[in-house]
Amino acid sequence: MQADATEKRMRELMLAALDGDAAAYRRLLAELTRYLRPWFARRLSPSHASHAEDLVQETLLALHTKRSTYDRSRPFTAWLHAVAHHKFVDHVRRHAIRPTVHLDDDAPIFAFDDSAHAADRRDVDAVLTEVPERTADLIRQTRIEGASIAEAAARHGMSETAAKVSIHRGLKSLMNRFAGGSK
Amino acid sequence: MTNELIDRLTSDLKPIPLRALEKRIWLALAIGLFATILVGPLVLDLLVGRPFGGAWGNSMFWSKLGYTMGLGSLGLIAVPALSRPDQYRIWPLLLASALAVLALIVGTLGWMQSDWAMPVLMGGTAMVCPWLIIVTSAPLLAVLLSVMRRFAPSSPTMAGLAAGLLSGGFGAATYAFYCGETSMMFMATWYSLGVALTALLGAIIGRYLLRW
Repeated sequence: MQADATEKRMRELMLAALDGDAAAYRRLLAELTRYLRPWFARRLSPSHASHAEDLVQETLLALHTKRSTYDRSRPFTAWLHAVAHHKFVDHVRRHAIRPTVHLDDDAPIFAFDDSAHAADRRDVDAVLTEVPERTADLIRQTRIEGASIAEAAARHGMSETAAKVSIHRGLKSLMNRFAGGSK
Repeated sequence: MTNELIDRLTSDLKPIPLRALEKRIWLALAIGLFATILVGPLVLDLLVGRPFGGAWGNSMFWSKLGYTMGLGSLGLIAVPALSRPDQYRIWPLLLASALAVLALIVGTLGWMQSDWAMPVLMGGTAMVCPWLIIVTSAPLLAVLLSVMRRFAPSSPTMAGLAAGLLSGGFGAATYAFYCGETSMMFMATWYSLGVALTALLGAIIGRYLLRW
């Protein structure tokens, strides 16, 4: 019943819009955006979830330029679904042929090793609890994840010198604690 | 972002008349046929040397006209539905194929009665007939496809095929006025081939041109 009520309301708005009623058209587009966004988000794979907004806009644009193909005697929801489905299939086809992964998303593959050195990592985590949290973060980022001191410092909003000092002190205290004094 | 788009689309809103899609197709048909009627005497009469009304008074002329107009009308029935995203009307295309098969059967029976005489099949123009039908149909096909670019076919290929059938049918009907052949088998073979090639051409062009 709820779907029927939506169809009735949307169709009335669409018919008014086809007759040139700009207010009804605006309400229709705004309402459709709310329905289309989750509709696309559900269908997209997580790596393409950010394309939902593009697809919503493409669908609205297609609704606008192709609105003369809507047959007023037929259900509006079915027509809109066909347009949205066409845009979705088109999107999938384009990205199936040429899958793209952003370099930013791709890089951290080697940053975290999940199997081979899991035990080592646990040890490192345990050892790093001995120093202040910020120092532990800095050590982890510069010595394990391979970030430069400048990058790690910027992430914590501190100067490069302060970061260097902090790392040095942290490592020194850890050596005192676990290696029986500095070598 | 999306709100800006909505603003732009709303300010661009113009009323759409009732049955706008059908009206555009009819207008394209009228313009295309007018162009064909102009091209006919120029290409067929002056260039190829076919006088208008080559088979006047022959009953075969009316068969050719009826057959080709029938094919064109079936295309005309299919085009509006295939131009929409939520409809898919394929039966007119199947019926057109059935009509061609029927014509071939009747033609073959006539050919058999004339003892498989080669001229009954080949006439005098078999080698040019299909190509000239494509030429006669081309203006209509071009106008029709350019109008259909504004539509949203669920399958661009099928929409192009239907447009090709429409153009090929009416183009061949125009060609019939300049054709002196009087055999059923000739029509069933070479006219059908000409219309089929035009439909194929429409499908190939439509596949790329009618994408949206």
